[in-house]
Amino acid sequence: MTSKLQKISYILAVATALLTGTAQAAELNFASWGGAYQGAIRDAWLKPFASESGIKITEDTDPQVAKIRAMIDTKSVAWDVVTENGARLTRGIKLGVFEKISADMVDQKHVIPGARNDYGVPSEIFSTNVGFSIKAFPAGKPQPSSFADFWNVARFPGKRTLQDDPATVIEAALIADGVAPADVYKVLATPAGVERAMKQIEKIKPYIAMWWKNGAEPVNALASGEVVMALGWNGRFQAGMDSGLPIQMGWGNTVDQVGYFALVKGAPHRTEAIKLLNYIAQAKNQAEFSKYIAYGPTTEAAFPFIDAARMQRLPSTPERMKNTLFLNSDFWEKYGPAISERYNQIRAQ
Amino acid sequence: MTDNALPRPSHAAGQTQWNRNRMALLAALPLLLFLLLFFVGPIGGLLKEGFYRDGTLSLEHFRHLAVTPIYRIVLGNTFTIAAAVTLSCVLMSYPLAYLLATVRPAVARVLFFAVLLPFWSSALVRTSAWIALLGKNGPVNALLTGIGIIDQPMAFLYNFTGVMIGMTHVLMPFVVLPLYASFRAMDNALVQAAQSLGADSAGILRHVVLPLTSPGVVAGAIIVFMNAVGYYITPALMGGPAQRMAAELISYNITEELNWGLAAALAGVLLVTVLLSLWLFNRLFGLDKLISGSAGKGSNTLPAGRTPGGRLSVLAGAVSALFLVLPILIVIPMSFGTSDFPMFPPPHYGLRWYASFFADSKWLAALWSSLRVGLMVTLCASVLGTAAALGVHKMPSARKGWLDALFIIPMSVPAIITAVALFYLMAPLGWVANSVAVTIGHTVLASPYVYITVRAALRSFDPSLELAALSLGASWPSMFRLVILPLLLPSLIGGAVFAFVTSFDDVVMALFLTTIHNRTLPKLMYEGLANDFDPTVISASCLLIVATAVILVANLLLGRKKES
Repeated sequence: MTSKLQKISYILAVATALLTGTAQAAELNFASWGGAYQGAIRDAWLKPFASESGIKITEDTDPQVAKIRAMIDTKSVAWDVVTENGARLTRGIKLGVFEKISADMVDQKHVIPGARNDYGVPSEIFSTNVGFSIKAFPAGKPQPSSFADFWNVARFPGKRTLQDDPATVIEAALIADGVAPADVYKVLATPAGVERAMKQIEKIKPYIAMWWKNGAEPVNALASGEVVMALGWNGRFQAGMDSGLPIQMGWGNTVDQVGYFALVKGAPHRTEAIKLLNYIAQAKNQAEFSKYIAYGPTTEAAFPFIDAARMQRLPSTPERMKNTLFLNSDFWEKYGPAISERYNQIRAQ
Repeated sequence: MTDNALPRPSHAAGQTQWNRNRMALLAALPLLLFLLLFFVGPIGGLLKEGFYRDGTLSLEHFRHLAVTPIYRIVLGNTFTIAAAVTLSCVLMSYPLAYLLATVRPAVARVLFFAVLLPFWSSALVRTSAWIALLGKNGPVNALLTGIGIIDQPMAFLYNFTGVMIGMTHVLMPFVVLPLYASFRAMDNALVQAAQSLGADSAGILRHVVLPLTSPGVVAGAIIVFMNAVGYYITPALMGGPAQRMAAELISYNITEELNWGLAAALAGVLLVTVLLSLWLFNRLFGLDKLISGSAGKGSNTLPAGRTPGGRLSVLAGAVSALFLVLPILIVIPMSFGTSDFPMFPPPHYGLRWYASFFADSKWLAALWSSLRVGLMVTLCASVLGTAAALGVHKMPSARKGWLDALFIIPMSVPAIITAVALFYLMAPLGWVANSVAVTIGHTVLASPYVYITVRAALRSFDPSLELAALSLGASWPSMFRLVILPLLLPSLIGGAVFAFVTSFDDVVMALFLTTIHNRTLPKLMYEGLANDFDPTVISASCLLIVATAVILVANLLLGRKKES
């Protein structure tokens, strides 16, 4: 038996020798969420940054906060820079997985105040809004635009899709029920407010053909005719429209979120990471991103670099900013688990 | 060899018996230690978290599970879906296994092709194919409305039906193969006898076929049920919120909410219910069915003619086979599409996504990594599983039950639990970065399959052959090499194939136990589908299908050459 174990450990040792990679020179490990989003980051920022600085960037996906925590716990941090949405950033800050970014590391004075965060460099602003099939709602006839339209099954009949995660859906449900965007979190902080939102979910549930989990799904479902209307991310709808799918979107109401680049605590290539964070914070580079995906810059200083036609595709026009509600990640950090349990229960029954 | 030819003197018999017991224990020990070290220990450590809250001992997590309705709903779903999937796998497999066992060898090979082929295309890709097939405006609905069976498109997806279709498709081969073995072992003369005595088809099925094939059914059903309980990716993609399964919530609490305590408590509850159902299986059917050998002596002759029931079964078997290959048939044209979005049939054809596969080195690197890990896992699981099966086979029966249970449980614990537990054990050692962690994790998942198939083969093995060889003076190793190994080989190969497939198709463990430098193909595919839809995933899968087909066809041609 001992010899068998020895044999196994020998085999494992040989495997180890075969499999270990090498690591030297200036490099940087970056992790994001794949797809069109990461593709845009690559084209707008990573490629030019790499050729300018000579730093070799290796990309990974799925930077779950749990995984970062586990890497730190086990002293095996593999990522330097990760991208997170507001809720994940907040959770990560609580768990102590991100390094605080001081003014002398990255100058962020020019960033839109609502988007600033001590632990992240805001990379873009994106909206959750109404997308619809123009086969079901052609031009010349009424087309949905607001969250109330999404809930109005009499005027806009047909199956719909909503996100499987409650954040943004709950906000939209209350806005559709007549709550002013500015009051949404005040209402949601009370049990009665949560129940009111859940009533809205129950009301729309029979008309939901599917609950989407990734940003590509609502676009695919609209294209295949599985649904006629979706609440999804504007950049994904735009990508579908750009590739000729019969889709359009309404800007009547939006819930905006900020994406962040964060520096992982104990990052193995911290110096290179800070260089990348500085690169994406520059106004000119901020403007680059929207060339590749329809997400808006996080600084007004970037607007002069964006022409009017492109601006029309972005969530950050002054007119759209007026109707929007910024997702409150502190709220979701605090009430998220309980709301998720209710949301799951209501939809499972 | 000849110097030992005489029977041993009787006073040595006790000594020999004792030696044999010790040998048996030694053979089972590697797998036992392996599982204690890399399965029981780490999982115990993780489950302990369920009893702590903010560092103090507390039952708060369990109270939370009891009072929050969603957890009861989800546990109920988990067991309902697992039971329903098991039933549907058995029902669909029966006619197919019958068909496989009763057609000419050449036809049987083609049918085996249909059973085995889906195994080699990632479960993720098959799910995408089903979604394309079964959509509201998909080909199946178009066909049904076209020929007037229904007038409104049916909702096959994102509901119970979707989950049943997806999971039955993934798990059915696990019933077909053992059931096929049972059918092969059945003596066809019995059917003819029953027929000549005037039994009708239903009577033959009830009194002859069902009793004789029940070991195969029970074996397959237990494997499917235990597997299904820990599933979550297929139900998450093809079901809706009402079909959420426990493993999904465990995973969500670990990766998103970071509520390890609650995840551990939920995992604990799931594990206890799995153990209870295992115990119930044991009481109802006898767990030893899982590892029981073939009941009859089998017959090499094909049945002379089919009964009316037999002809009906042939038809049903053909439908089952079609069900298995259908998504594969869809995937091939889809892979030649050029759009960014999955469409069937594709509006334009081209090689765009094949070019994308070869253009980015990450796909080939991941394929290479998958093959390396898969082969290593097959080797480890085969050695550990076979040794343990031999050992337990020789043991006095009192110990067997416990070891049998321990050796098959790893396949029913949701992989996410084992994965996270192993991550904390192995990341500090650097084993996640060098594929040792994922190899060990997959070996934990895969060794039950080898154990079960080899143990089953040993039970149908005639011990007098072994005694004959030994008494003729063969040493134990040469007896093993010349007698046992050749007889075990078919089952060993079967177990090894299951082991390889388990490793080659695993997503969940790979998500935690590999890094960007050594990720496996399913992990890369998952990344391509989890946050977006990357059609390269489909072309990658087609390349795998073609590779498998080439191997199977080569095997088929070689087999034919040997026959002639």
